[in-house]
Amino acid sequence: MGVDFRLPPAVQAFRDELREWLAGNLTDEVRDAARRRGRDDDAGLAVLRSWDRTMAEAGWAAISWPVEYGGRGATALEQLVFTEETIAAGAPTPVNVIGINNIAPAIMEYGTEQQKRELLPRMVRADDIWCQGMSEPDAGSDLASLRTRAVRDGDDFVVTGQKTWTSNGHRADWCALFVRTNPDVPKHRGISCLVVDMRSPGIEARPLRTLTGDAEFAEVFFDDVRVPASALLGPLDGGWAVATSTLSHERAGAARLYAMIRLRLRDLVADLRDAEQQGLVDGDDPLVLARLGELDTRLAFLAVLCQRSIAATGAAASGSASLAKTVWGELEQDLAALGHELLGAHDPGGRWSVARLSTRSLTIAGGTTQVNKNVTAQRVLGLPRR
Amino acid sequence: MNLELSDEQVALRDTVRRALAAEAPDQTWERLAAIGALDVLVPTSRGGSGLAMVEAAIVSEELGRARYAGPWLATAVAAVRAAGAAGASFVPGERTAAVALPWPGHAPAFTLDATGRVHGSQEHVLGAPLAHVLLLPARRDREVVLVAVEGVEAVAEAGLDATTSLGSVSVDGADGEVVGSLPEGALDAVRDDVLVAWAADAVGAARAVLALAVEHAKVRHQFGQPIGAFQAVQHLLVDALETVELFAAGVLYAAWAADAGDPSERHLAALRLKAFAARLATVGDIAIQVLGGIGYTWEHDAHRYLRRLLGWSVAFGSASSYQVEVGRRARTT
Repeated sequence: MGVDFRLPPAVQAFRDELREWLAGNLTDEVRDAARRRGRDDDAGLAVLRSWDRTMAEAGWAAISWPVEYGGRGATALEQLVFTEETIAAGAPTPVNVIGINNIAPAIMEYGTEQQKRELLPRMVRADDIWCQGMSEPDAGSDLASLRTRAVRDGDDFVVTGQKTWTSNGHRADWCALFVRTNPDVPKHRGISCLVVDMRSPGIEARPLRTLTGDAEFAEVFFDDVRVPASALLGPLDGGWAVATSTLSHERAGAARLYAMIRLRLRDLVADLRDAEQQGLVDGDDPLVLARLGELDTRLAFLAVLCQRSIAATGAAASGSASLAKTVWGELEQDLAALGHELLGAHDPGGRWSVARLSTRSLTIAGGTTQVNKNVTAQRVLGLPRR
Repeated sequence: MNLELSDEQVALRDTVRRALAAEAPDQTWERLAAIGALDVLVPTSRGGSGLAMVEAAIVSEELGRARYAGPWLATAVAAVRAAGAAGASFVPGERTAAVALPWPGHAPAFTLDATGRVHGSQEHVLGAPLAHVLLLPARRDREVVLVAVEGVEAVAEAGLDATTSLGSVSVDGADGEVVGSLPEGALDAVRDDVLVAWAADAVGAARAVLALAVEHAKVRHQFGQPIGAFQAVQHLLVDALETVELFAAGVLYAAWAADAGDPSERHLAALRLKAFAARLATVGDIAIQVLGGIGYTWEHDAHRYLRRLLGWSVAFGSASSYQVEVGRRARTT
């Protein structure tokens, strides 16, 4: 078969079924909470958790998971469609998105039967909130240099150290914690993963207020925290593989990138129309149109790049995925900048002002654009390391 | 959904690449004919290969990579599609052709009088100086017809890019043969196809010049190491790669949509390619920057690729005029 952008009929039917379900179940209250996701908003968080439960009970949560764990074993294309549809409808990203996509696959692969049975259903329903303990004050882009250590003592590990930029860390019940268990080997080889109960004595999670003024993240301090040895996930000192190979089920993460920008561009067009009707902006200004057109163009190309990385396999897929991430971060920043430039004066605390600030994180979180470019230069272009 | 080339499509690419790399460049046209690259868009019912714009784009990308200077785009895409739009067929072979496509928003520049003679003039007609047959869209009463004219010499324009033939066509009473009548919007659709195939050519040129710069960065040593080990150089090259790969993704979609998409989607996909054209040219700029002094010389090929990218970037209007048009559409959807 040659190049063909059409979806197979079965995937199209999946889309129709999901769209119908969303139309009948997604309320404005949930949409509003979705928009405010990441802001300080306990009431909003309760709405989001309740929505995750609704999704789980209807069989629409964690669709990438195998059926035996409560998922649908969805194909890459079904995941792509799912992401497009839920985001276009304004549905929230799951509270436990990191847990579902990054931690759960490791639990399925390495966890005990009891861990799987107790942890996974509560994760997907957002009965428990999960966080991932990776970044540290001195281990950001260079994650493998992490220093939080776990020392074996009888049947326990004793954990000491500090994590930071831990999403939902101050709200979490469980943490997939990456710790140094062997300081005497090269840094990638001495890391292990522990599943830690966040109510354990010695853990203190302090909200970390970001430049937007909201506390989406936490700093988490571990002071001689005793963690049972049975909490080890994966092999001792094999945590780096756990951290990097946990994306086995989730194939359509890249769809989130362009689907979110589609939604934001739609929001911007709608807000511009309102502002134009109030006489606040000139919607026919060719400078504005040119910038909108440039954003729309980059978005359309990014969508294809992401779809290729989802539909493809192997090296081609990871190459386009790292490019897509860079393109996405810059595009969302540019979109927010245009929104703020045109609308910020008329709505100083509004979504474009917040977005103008919050999108700075997109070229930092999950690996800075600069580190990403180093990796692309060496792995894709074959340029030498210094 | 499949967004990768099939085995047949890869084989087509490799065949074209070999044909272009062969000795005796004056035989290129014949070699392209022999491998079916000239009649790629001609339906099988008319004796052609009966393939689609995706395959035409594959051919075109190779032509761009090789800095091919002949009339393929004007003949195999513009003339074939224009004749098809007029309900007729043009089968490229020994005869080459060009189509006087108006720029967006412009009416056809020619008129056909009651005695069957054509009048009018147009500049920047792709491939006109190399064409045996000129296909001129002409107004006749209230309709637009496609008229074939032979024996008219177009005046070659000295453009920035010596490998892209452009010319001005001026006729005043030339004998024309009516090929057929062009429905509303048909010329826009033909221009879109030309833009898409031309964009694929630009992908080939951009990939080629980037490869030159990457290779240079690996072997050129300064300060005791390859310059490609410097992050400042690496990031420039990754920026260029990002630009090329984004654009190539857009071209793949536009080429597919040209035959399989609905009319508004295929048009928008083509507009977006032009809206990105100025950024694509930065790949040539970056390559020259990384190549340094040698890249600024006449002997080095870098400027020839840059010229080709610049030629595409101004074809049928500026990138910013297309951005405005895409933005207008984004506002109303």
